[in-house]
Amino acid sequence: MDYTQLNITQRQEMYDTVGIRSIDELFDAIPSEIRCDDGLDLMPALSELELQRSMAEMASHNHGAHDMSCFMGCGAYDHFYPALIDQLISRGEFLTSYTPYQAEASQGSLQAFFEFQTQIARLTGLDIANASLYDGATAVAEAALLAINTTRRKEVLVASTMHPEYIAVLRTVLSDLDIKITMLDATDGVISRATVEAKMSDAVAGVIVQSPNIWGQIEDWDGCFEEAHSVPKTAGIAVFNPIACGMLKTPGACGADIAAGEGQPLGNALNLGGPYLGLLSAKEAYTRKMPGRLVGMTNDEEGRRVFCLTLQTREQHIRGAKATSNVCTNQGLMALRATMFMTTLGSDGIKEMATQSWHKAHYLAKEIAKLEGWEMKYNGDFFNECTFTCPCDVTKVVEFCKSRGVLPGVAAAGRRMQGLSTGDELIIAVTEKRTKYEMDALVALLSEVSA
Amino acid sequence: MTTIEAIKKQSRGDKPIEPLIFEKHVAGVIGVDFPPLDVSETEVPEGVAGGSTTLPSFGQHDVMAHYTHLSDRNFSVDGNFYPLGSCTMKHNPRINEWGAALPGFACLHPLQDDDTIQGALRLLYETRTMLEEIAGLHEVSLQPAAGAHGEFTALKVIRAYFADHGQPNRTVVLAADTAHGTNPASCTMCGASVETVRTVNGQTDLEHLKEVIAIIGAENIAAFMITNPSTAGLFDANIKEIADIVHEAGAKLYLDGANMNALLGRVRPGDFGADAMHYNTHKTFSTPHGGGGPGSGPIAVTEELAPYLPIPQVMMADDGSFYLDRSRDKTIGKVRSFICQFGVLVRCWSYISACGPKGLRNVSETAVLNANYLAAKLCTTYSMPFFDPKNGKFCAHEFVTVPQTLLDKGVTLIDIAKRMIDYGVHPPTMHWPMHDCLMVEPTETESKQALDSFVDVMLQIAEEISSEIELVQQSPLESDIARADEVAAARKPILTFK
Repeated sequence: MDYTQLNITQRQEMYDTVGIRSIDELFDAIPSEIRCDDGLDLMPALSELELQRSMAEMASHNHGAHDMSCFMGCGAYDHFYPALIDQLISRGEFLTSYTPYQAEASQGSLQAFFEFQTQIARLTGLDIANASLYDGATAVAEAALLAINTTRRKEVLVASTMHPEYIAVLRTVLSDLDIKITMLDATDGVISRATVEAKMSDAVAGVIVQSPNIWGQIEDWDGCFEEAHSVPKTAGIAVFNPIACGMLKTPGACGADIAAGEGQPLGNALNLGGPYLGLLSAKEAYTRKMPGRLVGMTNDEEGRRVFCLTLQTREQHIRGAKATSNVCTNQGLMALRATMFMTTLGSDGIKEMATQSWHKAHYLAKEIAKLEGWEMKYNGDFFNECTFTCPCDVTKVVEFCKSRGVLPGVAAAGRRMQGLSTGDELIIAVTEKRTKYEMDALVALLSEVSA
Repeated sequence: MTTIEAIKKQSRGDKPIEPLIFEKHVAGVIGVDFPPLDVSETEVPEGVAGGSTTLPSFGQHDVMAHYTHLSDRNFSVDGNFYPLGSCTMKHNPRINEWGAALPGFACLHPLQDDDTIQGALRLLYETRTMLEEIAGLHEVSLQPAAGAHGEFTALKVIRAYFADHGQPNRTVVLAADTAHGTNPASCTMCGASVETVRTVNGQTDLEHLKEVIAIIGAENIAAFMITNPSTAGLFDANIKEIADIVHEAGAKLYLDGANMNALLGRVRPGDFGADAMHYNTHKTFSTPHGGGGPGSGPIAVTEELAPYLPIPQVMMADDGSFYLDRSRDKTIGKVRSFICQFGVLVRCWSYISACGPKGLRNVSETAVLNANYLAAKLCTTYSMPFFDPKNGKFCAHEFVTVPQTLLDKGVTLIDIAKRMIDYGVHPPTMHWPMHDCLMVEPTETESKQALDSFVDVMLQIAEEISSEIELVQQSPLESDIARADEVAAARKPILTFK
């Protein structure tokens, strides 16, 4: 079904109104030699029942967090979210609306995005946030550009412990812009303030450090950003996990000027990596250079408190080549999920989620560390994710666990990790969803495979 | 003041103002519960432990009420005629939502091994090949997250191609003066500069195109970004000549695919000489706009540009299994994390599969018919600079009106737009691509009854401008708020609740 709704009589009436005899007349402007009159070479149409069958069949060939025990993290986490989110988000008034350019017809979306911006700013401990970007990686790239455009400097310092895909995207985005990326080498899995100090100069626009980092280790944001601030106006850019903000020191509390992160853990499904939610938050001074949509509070002509998109002169549809970013479509629905999630849980609920993740990850780490030959790669503080060096080939570990219905973690040497490692490290994430039973089962499997 | 008095003061019509979540906070109450911790606790060291965040919370029923009330305060495709030009606000079939929500799709971790996600990879591979066929181009990358992101990605690919072919000085991109704002903004993000090519009567001015190429020097030009049908809603009859001129200059022709809804199954961009293009699945392929996103912006390119596409690419092996391939020496790298907007592409697959080849052709034909029907009904009251059906001048899937005679009576374009809200119609795109214009795109999924009632609304507003002009000037009168003060909002931005 192509979802059109006209019958033959109606079409004929419409032809008559337009003054045509056949539909082809409307396409006369297209030169005949480029017309595709033989039709497209695609499979014939499927009915809705056949679509249901086909999609259910394809979905049945996938195994993931729904039918396996998932300990994978590295930027995407199998967190719990309340059932009401799926119900509310499917309301057509949210789902099928457009960007709220017409304030008088869009107060629902606008108020929700305003609440979202406030929640994200409170979560990061900073002043403002935008209404979302594509994902964590692009949010980091936009954060770097924000620092570069604010300072007009040509260098960024980047923690080598950041997610390798975020580094890869940052490289792509900055590659034709004459910006130097200087990597900060890690000591014991983290960036030391001395390393930042050694690389700082007045050419540096921003210092980008992710915490918890790709190994799960908590970084010394305070120290790194203090060094960043040894040069006036250099931005400390914190790449954060929003759930961790529920119990750990926030980017703002650690002296960050800009915070960028992946918002997937806030009520969004794993979705094989998308659609996700790019979060960008900053100090007030960055307001007029922020990329993406911003919702502001204002009054209507009758003095009522209302909301509207604001500072649109930053944006591509007004400013063109001089816009602060090319971003137009954002992740509105994912932001809406996130704000519903944060409203349902509040500070207490997110703290509970973070705390349970912490305790469970530490329980599991202690249990694995008891196994013969299993060594924690780094001994610093971690949140919900830690790295072990396997006593045997990591691929063997992963394959064995998979065969028993467990996704044991992410192999650091995996081909998707951009050459992060060539060793046998396994990065293991634990959320509040994992039970003691599942963790004990994983430990038993690891013990068995490495025996 | 009593609660009822407060609500009366605040609300307009029958929709009470919804307080902010920060005003509804109830300390100690949250909307969901957790199982007890089933493992021993590990102390959180003082150096890393944070203070409390200040996120509000309240009970579950009030969470439902809050978002239900907010949803009541939104126009949507489901509830309203939504003829936003260039945005293709077509019906969003719910079978697509059903499919995307299947646990076998929604619960997949993006770093899982290929052998655990064969069904998902098959869906992506099929989507890729279907989009290649619809484009008439060699290879599609599903990675970009939205249309502008697709533009950025494709421009990076084109720049990488030229750098690899010893022509790194090709850093100028040409764009029409009516181009979407994302076109020049994407160029800036790629470190390319933009030169504008004039349009005449909504079509590329061929002489000016040649002139600009001569002035800048053919050897400096990377690409010409064109939207076809143009943003004025017209098929560019000279598209073949344009492609020839661009190719003669050694540059690439880039198609902004925002208006693909007029071309589906009728014309393939590769057949008229496009070297690269992006799709907006949230426009053409019915994936919901979601209040501003998510979108998805797959790009299609020619064989010579394909080696530079981002990684990973979804492939089919000789044995019929599917895998993610990273072995592409000349790739521009990655433009986003993980693979693609997978959940959006499930919906896209579902839509294209539902339509099939004949259905897709009927989509573009009906979209064009609906637009021409509206234009024919309205053109005597709402002047249309490019629409003259008696002389064979039709519009494509959308049309532009500059209602000068109405404006001359003392209303602004915004007055007309806001009055439409009173009649439950979402205003069309305004002031773009021309000053004082409305751009109307009905899409193919509207019924004749819906089109006719839109005509009635527009004629009624025109009548009101003659008889009761203040109704239009003071509109919206029926909506839940009066006009928002956007100037004040920008002058002193309040972006968070304090």
